[in-house]
Amino acid sequence: MADTALTIDGLSVDFEGFKAVNGVTMTVDEGELRVLLGANGAGKTTLMDLISGKTKSTSGRVFLHDTEITNWEEHKIARAGVGRKFQIPSVFKELTVRRNLEVASCRKPGVFANLRFGFGADAKRTVDQVLELIGLTEEQNQVAAYLSHGQTQWLELGLLITQNPKIILLDEPTAGMTQAETHKTSVIVNNLKGRHTIVVVEHDMAFVREIAERITVLHLGQVLAEGDVREIETNPKVREAYLGTKGIL
Amino acid sequence: MSSKRPIDWALYAVFVVLIMLAPLVMDSFWLNRVAKYLVYGMLGAAIALSWGYAGILNLGQGLFFGAGAYMLAMSLKLASQTSLQQGSDKPVPDFMLWNAEPGAPTELCCINKASFLWLPFQSQWFGVAMGLVLPVALAGILGTIVFRKRISGVFVSIITLALVLLVRLVVIDAQPITNGFNGLTDLGWFKVGDLEFDPYVVPTYYLVAVSLSLVLVSARLLVETRAGIILQAVRDDQNRARYLGFDVPSYQTFFFAVSAAIAGFAGMLYVIVSEFASPTFMDLTFSITMVVWAAVGGRSSILGACIGAILINVISATVSETEGFAEAWKAVIGLIFVLVVLYLPRGLGGLAHDLVDRFVVRKRGGGERALRVTSTSSQAAE
Repeated sequence: MADTALTIDGLSVDFEGFKAVNGVTMTVDEGELRVLLGANGAGKTTLMDLISGKTKSTSGRVFLHDTEITNWEEHKIARAGVGRKFQIPSVFKELTVRRNLEVASCRKPGVFANLRFGFGADAKRTVDQVLELIGLTEEQNQVAAYLSHGQTQWLELGLLITQNPKIILLDEPTAGMTQAETHKTSVIVNNLKGRHTIVVVEHDMAFVREIAERITVLHLGQVLAEGDVREIETNPKVREAYLGTKGIL
Repeated sequence: MSSKRPIDWALYAVFVVLIMLAPLVMDSFWLNRVAKYLVYGMLGAAIALSWGYAGILNLGQGLFFGAGAYMLAMSLKLASQTSLQQGSDKPVPDFMLWNAEPGAPTELCCINKASFLWLPFQSQWFGVAMGLVLPVALAGILGTIVFRKRISGVFVSIITLALVLLVRLVVIDAQPITNGFNGLTDLGWFKVGDLEFDPYVVPTYYLVAVSLSLVLVSARLLVETRAGIILQAVRDDQNRARYLGFDVPSYQTFFFAVSAAIAGFAGMLYVIVSEFASPTFMDLTFSITMVVWAAVGGRSSILGACIGAILINVISATVSETEGFAEAWKAVIGLIFVLVVLYLPRGLGGLAHDLVDRFVVRKRGGGERALRVTSTSSQAAE
């Protein structure tokens, strides 16, 4: 059994009486790719917000390996090794693609440590590799605002890869993508498997089938089931709560 | 993008050469005037740094300008002849006597309750140091509070706007030590060793011109550092930067403070060339005017915003003194502003960049241009 990379222990958040996430306990192994599934409002994105520090939890704990990171400031959690991709693609629009990645390659959090020129030879190598991986080498000198929707998503993935966190949280990385773009995204994500621990929120079952190892199903803020793709697809509780009525499987 | 950098720097060089050559063609009256406009240019650059690069629209930049101006003006006031002729062997500002209680001693320490604050300003260099320290400290405190609390956008503008008006009121109200509405006038000349900076001589012009050149080049270099690039990333998407692990408020506060320091420096230079400091520096209209300069010149270009400030002031001076326009010059300036906002939303700096783009791309055979056109049209298609 591999080491545990992420431990979530009884995590809850209470939005004035509404428990968006209610006592979620789960562990993700080092190098694992975990898919979070669930209907709208099941608490998937909120769970990511809690892990990455965007939302402060009201009870429960989060561990990154052996370090407790519960309710730290976002940038400290990021430095501890949690990277996050947002549902709405967010990149630095007025900077070129290469500049975007160079910024992500920077390892110093504060302003004074960065009062110097250039990002260094290591950064150049990393950025070149990442450009290759996300297929934006040709576009590297374009301003990010000119990228297509799919390319913007890949660039954001590229930012995460460059940041090189231990855990990558991906919130609907294929939202709004064409089939071909979705496929390319799954290639990129598959490429990261093993090197990073990845947690993905995704609705697109075709994509889930392409990448998933283990799936955790959330329902009304709680863990409903956990297992591999087949187990989840045949789990009666899951079918009833989420999949069955619409038959999207 | 990198191919454009040498051209950018060439433009800086041309600008510096031009302002260095100005004394060859101008009399001392115009030289003094242009020196003031160069100070405004420095303010434009300060705005470009905070607005264009950090995304912080400061509607109260006059606060930092005024802080710098008053700090040096206090020292120069004590250096003036009249301050020495008030019947004490140490200098005392004349207005303090006009406002003094009957029987108060004619001494800086105790002529009124707060006059002791003036004591260290007997050293001119203390005034100079404070002219930078005070704006930076104010910006540091304000920035730390505002940016740690994640206040952004228009709310920052409103806070800065309110603050400059508040400080203006305080300065006017503290008449015994600030001379209220009248401000500090009848100042001595700034001195470095034996050199006295009479506002109407060439060395004073060069003091301003060299200062401006240094500020422009340093600011430009600063935004090219890693920190400057990360700052632009923060401007584009704060959250993204935060989740990449950057301490976002430290970047915003730092560059806000640098912008404040430049404004404070400009305030000091203004006092040297105009020989007064007054609460009008902290009027709302002045702070807004600075933003207009930067908008016309191009907020995303430090040099552009600087040239915008100089240009608008030269135009308003010439137009307002042209017969027939004496009444209408404000309308002319307003018209220019409207036209720029409508047709050049990125200002003159943006226009220059586009022209350079076109020039560079043509020389390369248009390959990159074709790419650009496709990417823009695909974006339009979405």
